[in-house]
Order: sequence, then structure tokens, then C-alpha cells
Amino acid sequence: MIKINKLSKTYGSNDAKNPHSFEAVKNLTLDIGKGELFCFLGPNGAGKTTTIKILTGLLRASSGSILINGIDPETDHLSSKKIIGYIPDMPYLYERLTTTEFFEFTGELYDINKESIHEKLEESFALFGLIEYKNVLVKDLSHGLRQRLIYAATFLHDPEILFIDEPLIGLDPYTIRLIKDLLKEKARNGMTIFLTTHILALAEDIAHRIGIILRGELIETGTLSELYERHGKNNLEDIFLSLTGNY
Amino acid sequence: MSIERAILKKIKYTFYNLGRILSIQSKLKVFFIFCSVIVLITGMALMFYSGFRYFDTMSGFGSIIINKLFTFFFLGMGVMLVFSSIITSYSTIFRSDEIPFLLVRPAGYNQITLYKFFESTALSSWAFVFIILPYVGAYAAYNEMSVLFVIWTLLFSIPFLIICSAIGSISIIIFVRFIPKSKKTLLSLLIFTGLMLVVVFFINTDFNVDKEMEVFDISTVLPGLNLASNPILPSFWTSEGIMALTNGQILRGLMFWLLLMLTATGFLVLINDLGRLLFYNTWLSTMEGRQNNKRAPVLFKWLDKIYLPHDIKAMIKKDIRIFFRDPVQWSQVLIFFGLIGLYFVNIRNFNYHNIDAMWRNMIAFLNVFCLSMVLSSLGSRFIYPELSLEGQGFWVIGLSPTSMKRIVLTKFFSSVVAMIIISVTLVLISSSMLNVEKEIQIITIILILSVSIAICGLSTGLGAIFIDLKQSNPAAIVSGFGGTLNLILSLCFMIVSIVPTGLILHLEIVAKISHQTAENLLITTGLWLIIILLCSSILPLILGIKVLNKTQGI
Repeated sequence: MIKINKLSKTYGSNDAKNPHSFEAVKNLTLDIGKGELFCFLGPNGAGKTTTIKILTGLLRASSGSILINGIDPETDHLSSKKIIGYIPDMPYLYERLTTTEFFEFTGELYDINKESIHEKLEESFALFGLIEYKNVLVKDLSHGLRQRLIYAATFLHDPEILFIDEPLIGLDPYTIRLIKDLLKEKARNGMTIFLTTHILALAEDIAHRIGIILRGELIETGTLSELYERHGKNNLEDIFLSLTGNY
Repeated sequence: MSIERAILKKIKYTFYNLGRILSIQSKLKVFFIFCSVIVLITGMALMFYSGFRYFDTMSGFGSIIINKLFTFFFLGMGVMLVFSSIITSYSTIFRSDEIPFLLVRPAGYNQITLYKFFESTALSSWAFVFIILPYVGAYAAYNEMSVLFVIWTLLFSIPFLIICSAIGSISIIIFVRFIPKSKKTLLSLLIFTGLMLVVVFFINTDFNVDKEMEVFDISTVLPGLNLASNPILPSFWTSEGIMALTNGQILRGLMFWLLLMLTATGFLVLINDLGRLLFYNTWLSTMEGRQNNKRAPVLFKWLDKIYLPHDIKAMIKKDIRIFFRDPVQWSQVLIFFGLIGLYFVNIRNFNYHNIDAMWRNMIAFLNVFCLSMVLSSLGSRFIYPELSLEGQGFWVIGLSPTSMKRIVLTKFFSSVVAMIIISVTLVLISSSMLNVEKEIQIITIILILSVSIAICGLSTGLGAIFIDLKQSNPAAIVSGFGGTLNLILSLCFMIVSIVPTGLILHLEIVAKISHQTAENLLITTGLWLIIILLCSSILPLILGIKVLNKTQGI
């Protein structure tokens, strides 16, 4: 579903002598299959967000290639966007729309018919506890409620591939459980999920496979049990710290 | 069409909700804003009307000007719209937080560009309605024209606005796409442009003004009048078309309207294609500039040599660094003052220095007025939201061992110093190019000093009174009640400070009052200026400091 081949990203110029340039992602190669829930871990500034932004088309790679479900986003961006969903760490929402209007607007961008939008609205709003906020302006929502709304709106077009940057920021325990269960269920139903996080417990809990990135390089990848076995430890935190400890 | 439909619906909802928000706001506040707008429009209409009547008293010369003024008005509006569009297009098309949201959705690059272009057009042109309406109303009333004249003006204004805005947007898309990446090349380009301006200045400066050269020729008095009648200009089509329809020449009017519509459509097609071909890569390159977190340090060694308390020095350094690292801020200041500077430097090119003293004085005061308008808009745009834009980082200053009073006063004094340096330099250029008398030079400098101080006081004080730390968008902060009040009060200050002085000197020159009376009136005006200056600078600062001291959560 997601094929990343020798992906690199350098900010500034590619000239190594330029003191203001730096390589955020170095030669990243990854293959993520259908229905896989892949967790991308790494310390601050390791290159997680840069990678996710390149995959969603919000940044351009300096070299390397990407295939999203066999589609090259560089040549056919519209087709790739139809099948992806993206939840950034700080999502943009239209402050002067109500939650219902925002949901409707997102649906219309994907050309979903009105009846389906309203059917899904009832379903999603009930799931994310947004029913009582149906007519509330986005500007009046708390951070947690905004996150719930962006999740509801992102699932509206049933994306085949979902990219999430730090999925649990600012969420209460109830919503955290809800999101975790939902992501597991979506992956079971065939959705490919690529998420970045700092929360190791989340990766331990839901990831099918984990990748650890440090200074732009993918230094480790595998399932949780593979990592335990390879490092002789039964705790992801210990593995993570031993790999990134001198960072 | 689903993208266009979705966006149109979103705009409809946004306006509807804006109405909802306004309806639950203080009725007094809404009423105050409404009344201020009415007073502003009526006041401007009366001013324009008086202007037409004044020109009428000047026999043949005046009537020629009035006839040409309608065409000239659209040329002036067009030029202002193009520059306004350049400024708003950059922030709307390339810096909007909405772009990443739309880019990950199945919207075409051309669709996003067109949508942002229309948004930019609306943002850059809505304020001009406040000039067009009173001008057209006054013109129609003066010439006793039918109501249809106003309707035709509206009909022609739409394609005209699109054309002007498109010129600005297309320029900025191309400029951002092909701007030299290397700082050295960019700097060389800027230095070259600066040197060219200096050369133009010396070529156009006639240091030995020949007093005998006062030849009456309308094109030397207002050279723009001839340019405005150039038939290839859309402003000419607009004014000619409106006048033709008003005079019953339906076919001629329709021809000009179709010409405007065709040109506007052509520009929209061009924007659509530029969006498809250039938008995405250009946006990515601007984003990469923002993502590259390694910046050359701005150290200000010179500032360290100046004795200032450490907290004040730290705040000044921070503000200067932020200003220079945000191209939106410094480029707007550069464009605004650069344009005014360019005009002042070229005054002799227009032969304004050879015309009658009465006109030179009037132009000197108009220049002060025009510069003050730029100062007040920049004060509202940059100084007013400064405290609010501290945002979530305000606690850093709030918890440091400094007082709110020092924070507010630092913002005030640093903005006063910056504004005075620029404004006084520009007024000195203007008066020396116009070759006005020493007395007028001194008066115009005093006026611009007062306006600068008052605008900084009002903007800093009101910015503190109406502080909004939750808002990160300066445009949203500025368009709130406090921002609107600040702009209105700044404009009021300009009117009540510049107009009386200008009027007294004008009446003296046209011998309507004696020199002695003028002197007495000027002394009274000076006292009046001191009173209003104190009211508009110290009072808002005191109130602002009080509000900040009482505000919770800072």
C-alpha cells in the first residue's frame, strides 16, 4: 500500500558546505502493507513529521520515490488524495463553521452525496460524542473536541490509507481509548495506518510494526516481538532509549 | 464541480455564522461600528462634494479637472488595488493555514489558486468600497446624475476589481516562483534597485529652481490626468463605460463593459493556468523556507553598546528579530513606504515644484495626509496586534522580573522611534522636492511627529486594552472591535490635526485672512494639537497598562 524507496529530504540547499542546510530524512526505505498499522517512533526533530508531510504531499522529497497504493502522488496527486486521510498534530479547522457545517464541507470536497454525509454524520457524531455540539461553532470547541471533530471528518470518505501525526495530543482518557480501539478496528477492516508518536505505550498497544527514526535515519524496524527478541529486552522504552540514548 | 460547490457553501455558512456572532455581541458595540462607518462615508462624501465645488470656483481650469477627475479616480484606485492585491495575495495564497488542509484533499491546484485569488480580491478591495461609495455618490450629486449612475458604477467595478487584483496576484505568483534563492543575489538586486532610485533622485532634482518657470499647463499640474485618458487602460474603459451608459449611449457603454468582462475572464484563465502549473511548487518552496529551522543569528552588537535596562533591551531585540524574520511584515512596510518615497522623490518629475505656492503648500499638506494614512494603517496592522501576538508566549515576559508598564512603554517607544525616523525623513524629502517655505517645512514636520506619536500611543494602548492572546492571526485581531476603533481614532486624529493647520495656511495664502490672524490661529491650533496629542497617546497607554495589570491568565 505504501512503498517508500530511498527517500531523502534536505532543508536549505543540498550543498554540504552550507551551514544552514540539514538532512531531515536520509535514504528512507519502507514497505507498509494493506491493513497494517505502522508506528513511526523517534525523538523530537528526528524526521517523523517531515516524512509524513512528504507522504501527504505537503513537502517535496529531495530524492527517492513514493507509491501510494500503486499511485505516484507526484504524477497523479488527485487520485492519491482521494484514497488518503491525514490528521496533522495541529489540524486546521474553519473557526466560523459549526461542527455540522465543517463535516458537510469535508464530505463535499470528496464529492460524497448529501444523504451519505448526513447518515455518516449521525453515526460519527454519536461515536465521537459530538451530538450535543452539532450547532456549535468550531471556535467555541475545546482542543479535545476539535481533535474528535477532525477524526470524524477524516473517516468520512473511508480512506484506504490514513496518516496521523501524534494522534493522542491533548485528548482525555476516554477519547484516547476510543481512538485506539477505532484505529485497531479500521486496520482490521483493511485500512493502512501510518502514525507518528512519542508515546511508546501507544505503539506497544496498537502497532503491528514499529519503525524507529533517529536524525533522519531509520535505525530499527520490526514487530514488537521481533524488537524484543533482537534486543533481548521485553520493554519498548528500554529498546528505544538504548537506540536513541545518546541523542 | 464538487470542490467549487463545497467552497461556495462554506463561504455562505461563514457569512451566516458571522451574522450569528454579531447578533450576540454587544448591541452598543455593533451600533457604534455601524454609526462610525456611516459617519466616515458621509464625511468623505461631503469632503469630495466640497472639493468639486471648490474646483468649480476656479473657472475653466476647475471644470477641466472635474471632467477628467472621474477617469483619474479609477486610475488611482486601480494602482492602489494592484498594490493592495500584491500584499494580500502573498499571505492569502502562500501563507494561509488553510492551504495544507486543502492540499491533502482532492482539490486541483488550479481550483485552490482560483479560490484563494477570489479571497485575496475580497480582502484587498473591501476597504475601497469606503472610498468608491462616497466618491461616486458625491460625483453623482454634484453633477445631478440619476441613480442609474451608481448602479452602472457597481456593474463596472466588479470586472475592474478582478483585473486589478489579478495583476497583483499574477505578479506575486511569478515573483515568488522565480525570486532568487540566494540571499546574495537578492541583496545585490535590492542594492541595485536602491542605487537606481538614488540616481533617479539626482537626475530629477533640479537644485536651482527657476522661479520664472511658472507656466500654466494642466498636464504639468496633474500629469496623471493625461495618463488616465490612455485608451488601453481598464480604468479608462470603466469610467468611459459608466459615463456612456449614464448619458444613454447604451452600445458604447456595453462595448466597454464587454471589454472589461473579456479582459477579466482572460486574467481568470491565466490565474487558473498559473495555478495548475506553478502554484504547488511555489507553495512548497515557500514552505521549505519556513521549515528550514536554521537561521543566521541576528545579534545586534550595536544595540548592546546603547545603555538600556536589560529587560527593555531584551524585548526590543526580540521584536526586531521577529520583524526581520517575517517577510510579510517587512515587505509590507517596505512596499508602503517605498511607494510613498518613490512618489516623493519623483515630485519634480511632475513639475510640482514649479507651480504656484498655494498649490505647493496644498500638495505638501496632502503628502503629510497621505503619509499619515499609511502610518495609521501600518499602526493598525503592526503595532495594534503586537501585544496580542505575544500569544501563548506572553507568560515568558509576564513571569519575568519586569512590569506591564515597562512592557507597554517599551512597545510604545520602540514603535515611536521607528515611525519617526521613517516619517520625518519622508516629509523632509517631500518638502525639499516641493521647495516649500521653511515655515511650511517646520509645520509639516511637527504635524507628522504628532501623528506618529499619536498613532503609536493609540495602537499600543488600544492593543493592550483589547488584548486577545488566543488569536494568532493578525488579520483577525485587527478586524475586531479594538482594531476598528483604533483605525477610526487614528484617522480622526489625522483629520483634526492636519486639516485645521492646512486650512489656516491656505486661507492666509489666498488672502482670506491676514498674516496676524493666521499667526494667532496657528498658536491656538498648536495648543489644540498638544491637547489632542496627550489625549491620544498618554490616555490609551495608561488605560492599557491598567487593563493588563488587571487581566487574569497573563
